[in-house]
Amino acid sequence: MKKVNILWSFFSSVKLTLVLLFLMVLLFIVATVVPRESIAPEFAWLADIHHSWLFYILTAVFSLNLMICSIDRWPVTMKQFKMTGIPVPSGLFENLPEKRVIFTEKNIEDAGRVVEAALSSAIGRIEKSDTGTGLLFYRQRGRFSLLGVYIVHLGVLIIIAGAVIGSMLGFKADMNLSEGEESSNAQLTGGKGAHRLDFSVRCDRFIMELYDTGAPKTYRSDLSFIKEGQMIHQASLLVNHPINVNGVRFYQSSYGLAEGGKAILTFKREGTESPEIPVKEGESFDLPVENAKASVLRVEENMMQMGPAVKLNIATGKGSIQLWVFQHIKEIAEANPGLLSEVPLFNPGLFQPLLFSLKRIERQYYTGLHVVRDPGVPFVLVGGLLLLAGILMAFFFTHQRIWVLVTSEAGGGTTICLAGRVNRYQDVLQRQIDDLGVKIRKELSA
Amino acid sequence: MSHTLILSYVTFIYFAAFVLYLFRMILQKEFYGVAATYTAWTGIAVHTLAVIFRWRDSYHLGFGHVPITNLYESLVFFAWSIMFLYLGIELRIKNRMLGAFVVPVAFLIMAYASIAPGVNQSIEPLIPALQSNWLTSHVLTCFMGYASFTVAFGCAILYLWKNRKDAAGPGSSGWMAHLPSLDVLDALIYQSATLGFVFLALGIVTGSVWAHYAWGSYWSWDPKEIWSLITWLIYAIMLHARFVRGWRGKRMAMLAVVGFISVLFTYLGVNFLVSLHNYI
Repeated sequence: MKKVNILWSFFSSVKLTLVLLFLMVLLFIVATVVPRESIAPEFAWLADIHHSWLFYILTAVFSLNLMICSIDRWPVTMKQFKMTGIPVPSGLFENLPEKRVIFTEKNIEDAGRVVEAALSSAIGRIEKSDTGTGLLFYRQRGRFSLLGVYIVHLGVLIIIAGAVIGSMLGFKADMNLSEGEESSNAQLTGGKGAHRLDFSVRCDRFIMELYDTGAPKTYRSDLSFIKEGQMIHQASLLVNHPINVNGVRFYQSSYGLAEGGKAILTFKREGTESPEIPVKEGESFDLPVENAKASVLRVEENMMQMGPAVKLNIATGKGSIQLWVFQHIKEIAEANPGLLSEVPLFNPGLFQPLLFSLKRIERQYYTGLHVVRDPGVPFVLVGGLLLLAGILMAFFFTHQRIWVLVTSEAGGGTTICLAGRVNRYQDVLQRQIDDLGVKIRKELSA
Repeated sequence: MSHTLILSYVTFIYFAAFVLYLFRMILQKEFYGVAATYTAWTGIAVHTLAVIFRWRDSYHLGFGHVPITNLYESLVFFAWSIMFLYLGIELRIKNRMLGAFVVPVAFLIMAYASIAPGVNQSIEPLIPALQSNWLTSHVLTCFMGYASFTVAFGCAILYLWKNRKDAAGPGSSGWMAHLPSLDVLDALIYQSATLGFVFLALGIVTGSVWAHYAWGSYWSWDPKEIWSLITWLIYAIMLHARFVRGWRGKRMAMLAVVGFISVLFTYLGVNFLVSLHNYI
């Protein structure tokens, strides 16, 4: 039993709370000032202190401390909560300053009536009781603010619980999708392997808009969510507007240039041009000549300083030939007369009777999605709301108690004493009582 | 007249108010005090108008938004909040001594906003991450919090100074006698720190709701987040030490100073660290 008591008094000490908070502050400062890159491996955990055992243990001790402190003080608070006007706290009417003691020639009944009227109009409903020594008026307000601190502590504990739940049952991952790409694999944040979703995501389009200044205005991914061949959801994903699919939330988190661009090719046959053919490296397409098939070997944004170009391999039943198609072939040929005959590889009309041309290379973007499942969020939200509500209760309201004692003097006349108690902001209550005194004095002489 | 020009005039108005508060304190002529108060009110009125002009101009540019979205705008708003709180307190305690300690902070912030290189004064359109309804409530609450802590800091400096003078010789003479009493200063430190604590709590919670929508995590241990938590914890320590362990006076004043250093680091120092939160 004694052992339990020692542990209890250790964990119920506010000194411990202050020490723990101080240690946390120190840890956090270390975590933000330690350079993440240039740190010896044995101290690497310092840069990521919030995922270290030291921090977990500190948080656990802190939670225990918070809980036991609150439980320990609860009976005292309840006692304060249930307090009534009588008996008055000891010493309440002793050593009152002069302005808190009012003497009047009126008898106790008249004086009592004046005081009661003045109090009712100034502070609302009051309790009145006849003690043996005189009339006692009592008013209390804001009792509920005593509970604020417990609600704050409960909120903090629920937030910590929510964080633990989230880190144990949830996941955080990222996936990059090029336009048209579909995947159900996401890479867990922090390089902890892959996470497979039970549905797949396809990026139909990624759009980036810029302001005239060049600053980004919009990042938008049009996404389709597919499960077992069925489209289950389709939506546009914007920054600040996540999409929730089956409890998994998707965020627009980044974008980038996909490897290799998309080449837009056409070919002419006897003067008529084909429709545009978009192809990527490694893809192939059919040609309208003796079962010929063209495959794209390379897509270059700037081939030998001569601009965008694509290398094609054209296979027929008889064999295959390779050729480069430059976007700016006209200018290149003008600048280098005889080039096309000397280097047939650069001749876009090498495969008769077709003449290829490269319209442009479209640089392709991928969209970076952040994928999160966090069942702890509702807890954290509730905890946060409790925390705010409790703070407002505790700091913007006070438990105020005001007593006014009216007693008749032996030599005739009546004495009125004003006193009060408050759990916070003494000066506010003192001013209020002073104002009451002034009001009573005025109405007595009226 | 452009709003940035008006705002640079406001800097001078605040400087004038500071000098008048100083005269009031040293020369003990109520005339200077009244002049200081009028100047300060003029300053905040012009300041408010300029911010409204800037707000309106952002709509003329075609991408209207509240003027609290970059370092310059935040500094301007920070100074505004400090003046707003200070003038409120002046009305309440009916003592102008604090003015000489708080108004110069607002002046220095405005001066920094106007002349520091690297503080871009132009109105910028909002990047996607800032296009959120949470922007206003988050920034407003955070800066009201910072401003309250600044007022607590001003009171703390005044407290420590007066306390030292009182200790040196009893019966503080001359204008020292006109300073608010140590008890009043102690109460002011406590009340403004409490107000800041509440606002910062609101700021952290709104920020974390926003982060939940923008980054997919209500808490990412980003340096800005960590430092706001450090600041909040320092004031939590301060409030607990007072309420449960009965700390008063000098210790509270020291904590208010430490807390303010942490506020400055949260606001400006973090920009030197790698952070997701690199807008302000």
